[in-house]
Amino acid sequence: MIIKMQISSLKVRKKGIVILLTLIFSSFLFSCTEKKDGTILKIGIAEEPRTLNIWLASDANSRKVLSLMYQNLYVRDPVSLQLIPWLAESMPLFEPETVSYIVKLRPAKWSDGSDLTSDDVLFTINLIKKFKIPRLYSKWKFVKKVEALDSQTIRFYLQKPVAIFVTKSLSVPIVSRSEWADVAKKSLTHEKPLTALLNHKIKFPLGCGPFVLKQRREGAYLYFEKNRFFFGENKKIAGHILGPFVEKIIFKIYSSADVAILALKKGSLDYHWSDIPPGHINGLKESKHIQVFVSKKSALYFMGFNVRHSPFSDTALRKAVAVLIDKEFIISRILQGYASDMTSIVPKGNKFWHNPRLPAYGHGLTKQQRIKKAYTILTENGYTWKSPPINEQGETTMPSLIRLPNGEPMQDFTILTPPADYDPHRAASGTIIQEWLKDLGLPAHSRPMSFGALLSQVKQRREFDTFILGYGKLSLDPDYLRSFFHSKNNKKRGWNMSGYHNPDFDVAADASVAAVNIGERQKLIRRMQEMVMTDVPYIPLYNPMRIEAINMNNVSGWIKMVGGIGNLWSICMVKPKQI
Amino acid sequence: MNLRRLIIRRSTEIFFIFFVILTILFLLFRLAPGDPVSRMVDPSMTTEEAEHLINQLGLDRPLWSQYLFYVKNFFTGTLGNSFHYGEPVAQIIGQRLPNTILLFTTSIIISCIIGIYFGKIAAWNKGKKLDVWMTIGALVLHTLFLPWAALIIIWIFGYKLGWFPLNGMLTPEIWINPETGIFARFLDVLHHMFLPLFTLCIIHFGSYLLIMRSGMLETLQEDYILTAKAKGLSAIEIRNRHAAPNASLPVVTSVGLSLAFSVNGGALTEIVFSWPGLGRELIFAVSNNDYPLALGSFLFISIVVLVANLIIDILYAYLDPRIKY
Repeated sequence: MIIKMQISSLKVRKKGIVILLTLIFSSFLFSCTEKKDGTILKIGIAEEPRTLNIWLASDANSRKVLSLMYQNLYVRDPVSLQLIPWLAESMPLFEPETVSYIVKLRPAKWSDGSDLTSDDVLFTINLIKKFKIPRLYSKWKFVKKVEALDSQTIRFYLQKPVAIFVTKSLSVPIVSRSEWADVAKKSLTHEKPLTALLNHKIKFPLGCGPFVLKQRREGAYLYFEKNRFFFGENKKIAGHILGPFVEKIIFKIYSSADVAILALKKGSLDYHWSDIPPGHINGLKESKHIQVFVSKKSALYFMGFNVRHSPFSDTALRKAVAVLIDKEFIISRILQGYASDMTSIVPKGNKFWHNPRLPAYGHGLTKQQRIKKAYTILTENGYTWKSPPINEQGETTMPSLIRLPNGEPMQDFTILTPPADYDPHRAASGTIIQEWLKDLGLPAHSRPMSFGALLSQVKQRREFDTFILGYGKLSLDPDYLRSFFHSKNNKKRGWNMSGYHNPDFDVAADASVAAVNIGERQKLIRRMQEMVMTDVPYIPLYNPMRIEAINMNNVSGWIKMVGGIGNLWSICMVKPKQI
Repeated sequence: MNLRRLIIRRSTEIFFIFFVILTILFLLFRLAPGDPVSRMVDPSMTTEEAEHLINQLGLDRPLWSQYLFYVKNFFTGTLGNSFHYGEPVAQIIGQRLPNTILLFTTSIIISCIIGIYFGKIAAWNKGKKLDVWMTIGALVLHTLFLPWAALIIIWIFGYKLGWFPLNGMLTPEIWINPETGIFARFLDVLHHMFLPLFTLCIIHFGSYLLIMRSGMLETLQEDYILTAKAKGLSAIEIRNRHAAPNASLPVVTSVGLSLAFSVNGGALTEIVFSWPGLGRELIFAVSNNDYPLALGSFLFISIVVLVANLIIDILYAYLDPRIKY
């Protein structure tokens, strides 16, 4: 009896193992059923989009997927980078007498088939103003009235002429009244209206972009289908006949860049919408079906000083530091050549606004020449050493601690950087700069700290000596100069982190906002760059390149522009290989 | 002390411990430098907008007021809304938790079974080559750096051989097809689960093997084992029926705690395999100062661990009648 039971339990176990193996084997076969389909564009993203609520979305991945649905009145031409009409039919018409702009919409529909009208634009602007939506409110608060002249025409009345109205205000995404009216009404009854609006969950956004979200599995994927009502289909805009030419897009999450690269090589992905580390480029180029794109970015990575107090309140010291920093070394060694040199706060690629005639501190000098030049600047301004960095024979030597013009030895100071796991380039730059400064007897200590702590130290507490930070996606309109250096922003949480104060700069910055004449504004912006680079509250270090890779087997037709190939134009232009 | 009194006493202790944990966690997150708004590095965000947002999120209130508000909300069943998702924290945890439990609990059970099996064989063959190799193997696997091991496994089985998907939990192309049946979907998840499960098992089974081996070696010195031998019982019977059950008590403790901690997942495993679990969310929440999500997740883990401890205590009393509380 017992033997029989044992035999039967053995049989049951064997059956279990057979079932398990069958399941695993079936799942192997199952994997082979994944067909290559050129009509599906497979895009990898590094993290899950946190929200589909356009007003809450502050992470890059949410913005990427939302850009397929919510559209702006104006967008940037991929080549000239000039603003061109998108939802609008033509460029805005300015009426100086009434300080107003008239914008005419092109015929367009929402993805549910209803018409996009001036009422939707009106509703969007009123919602932004009423709820004071972060990042958008400041672009609209100077607009005193918006009125719909007819179903396709809107007039915006400004309190005074504002230069950024066209470049920034008119570039906000437009939402549908039908999607948001009830939500807004309900949120206004809440004790915290903005929180209520931001916490509203949108499952399937109603947009008028080239794609419509059809399915989302949290943490796994987002599935989009072509918007049958997309206004741009078969239209020629910016010299391109727009699609979309692919029927579907699937966004998959690849939290690890290494695995995303394997997926590109294997063909499971067509494009990974995220930076690829330079170390992977050679490996990727070995695969014949992979194409690597290296694009310029509108970015700024810089070293900032706390100019509110000694010792960095002294311009001469800041200039000496600027001379000592070998940007070419940082770019070639730390960023492996995938970055461009910066001589101004406005990147060189932004040709219209960039000022090409600015002092390039230490450019092209050898290490010895840098030390000598910095030494000259400092000695001329009263700095001394017991044992100077340049000996009597004019050779560089290891110096003693530098003494300030008042005779006091300089206290140890820190260069705050994000940690290497957050940004290895900035952390490494901090370390190398520390060594260069020691060559002149400056007691610098690079101190990586968590990004949140670093921002808190610099923006809120404002207790620091120097720091290295960056902006990965600067707007093409250089109004950020005003944010970074206007003395009114020298306050807790303000963007003037250095505490820079120059009345001439403030006057120019205020004038630049009001300058509707673009030539006049260009002069002011270039003058502002000159003032900043003369006073050096920031030392611009580098502008990194964006490295991306695509799998060429399935689709083609990517559009490269500043910021990479991940853009609305590519989404509208990418074609399956068989077409 | 009888079992009921034990449960009442331990539950009261757990309640107070939990309250201390809640307070410490709350203070830790709030006193850490930075806040969710200052992390939004966007020059378009003016000071006025930032302050308005801080006010709307309730972060401008005094710390004690925020604490009382949180405690009140917690005991009325609200964990708040995530700053970044805009969704209730309980909902986010609820979405991620099943995925974490599926992967990590399965891996613990499989690792435990394999570990116990090989642990008792190793102890039984103490000093022989088999024991030496098993012990060294277990130590080596247990100390492997998980992300490295995971990438190697993905490279071999996912990329080179192409047997398994590289990452994720689902194949979107299969799931978006409305004609795909439940069985096919189940197979798809199983297929995706294989590599992370395999990675976790080869790394974790070693620790169970070592615990079991050491427990067995101790048990094999007991008089009743000698008696069993004297009675003429077979070696397998002595090993499996008399020694192994008694040697498995430390493994029970270890498995119990591992199961409890499995709810927080393994952030590294989840990141490398893009597994949509709670571990990945925890990392995101902490690094982005998403206080409600971070606090809610940690409190949830604390509750599970505290309850698991209580269950282990009860289980001990059941498994070993000699233990008195």
